[in-house]
Amino acid sequence: MSTIEKSNKAARGTAQCENTNINLLKANDFVADIIRKEMTKSNTLLINVTSSAGSGKTTLMQKTAERLKDKLTMAVMVGDLETERDAARIRETGIQALQIVTGGICHLEAQMIHQVLDQFDLPSIDLLFIENVGNLVCPSSFDLGEDYRVTLMATTEGDDKPRKYPKMFLTSEMMLVSKADLLPHLPFSVDNVVKDAREVNHEIEVIRVSSVTEEGIDEWCNWLLAKVEDKQMAEVNA
Amino acid sequence: MHETSIVNSIMRTLELEFEVEKMARLKGIYVKVGILSNIEPRLLHNAYDAFQMTNPGYTDAELHIESTELKIQCELCNHETKVKNYRFICENCGSPSKNVIQGEEMLIHKVEFND
Ligand SMILES: Nc1nc2c(ncn2[C@@H]2O[C@H](COP(=O)(O)OP(=O)(O)O)[C@@H](O)[C@H]2O)c(=O)[nH]1
Ligand SMILES: [Mg+2]
Ligand SMILES: [Zn+2]
Repeated sequence: MSTIEKSNKAARGTAQCENTNINLLKANDFVADIIRKEMTKSNTLLINVTSSAGSGKTTLMQKTAERLKDKLTMAVMVGDLETERDAARIRETGIQALQIVTGGICHLEAQMIHQVLDQFDLPSIDLLFIENVGNLVCPSSFDLGEDYRVTLMATTEGDDKPRKYPKMFLTSEMMLVSKADLLPHLPFSVDNVVKDAREVNHEIEVIRVSSVTEEGIDEWCNWLLAKVEDKQMAEVNA
Repeated sequence: MHETSIVNSIMRTLELEFEVEKMARLKGIYVKVGILSNIEPRLLHNAYDAFQMTNPGYTDAELHIESTELKIQCELCNHETKVKNYRFICENCGSPSKNVIQGEEMLIHKVEFND
């Protein structure tokens, strides 16, 4: 997408005109590629976690850390509009977590990630999460150099959300239906949300999870372990 | 907020692409945004107006925005479907498809300079 085709400077009235084909987010995508290369070099699996505000991202990061911290080295970067709370919550589990305060910007950009990468000892980290700012619109357009994009959809939200935010679900490899413990009390239909998501992205994987009952957490962690192993094998073969 | 980032990105990209002397003669920026890009043309115009206010050098440069509809092309039967209601399904053979051929664009496709 970053190829630039410039025509001859055809005079057009009094103006010069150049036909171009430049991605609006070229600057972002350039930095995302640098991040991707660094992750390949250090064998680190990078996962971008998105959802609406309050869908359970930070809680899931805590659960995941508790489960996996003896098996591998995990770290988290958390984007938030104003506060430092989430990183502190994640650090309580004993893993490294860094807050990126965006100062009102509603998404993380590759540059913000790149700026803090040197605070991590990447070669020792197997699994690095980015908890994105809570909304399903803006973060969908910004590649952060991740291997996988995982989107949480809580049972407390509408089960028709995937089609309201198609870009996010189109660009995610995994949808986690979170807060599954609340299903008995809510009008939410898992079948509907899966149908809605697959009408947008027929390849999206789905796991039901609950950080309260721990339903699905094993499956989620096994998925992560398999992806970490794939990434490290790819490097050995390369 | 998102649109402000996009405007900044457009201007940063152009400043990298063209020389200072040329940018001083900037007359028009033509962008194409697909409906999947989550860019709202009206908000983008507003964000650009705000940018112009703080960057008087660009007061005469106009932003033109074209939005494009969403289309997929079926991998099985090659049929092109205009996607309605975000159902990514071929209207000819019914198979699901992620092969978006239009509607995802976020492009600067033309730039005009005064002589
Ligand atoms: N019932 C239930 N509540 C949850 C679950 N996960 C998170 N929560 C609650 O949802 C709220 C928001 O969670 P948080 O992890 O901060 O969401 P984030 O904004 O996406 O990071 C908190 O009050 C959590 O205790 C879950 O699996 N089940
Ligand atoms: Mg959080
Ligand atoms: Zn077809």
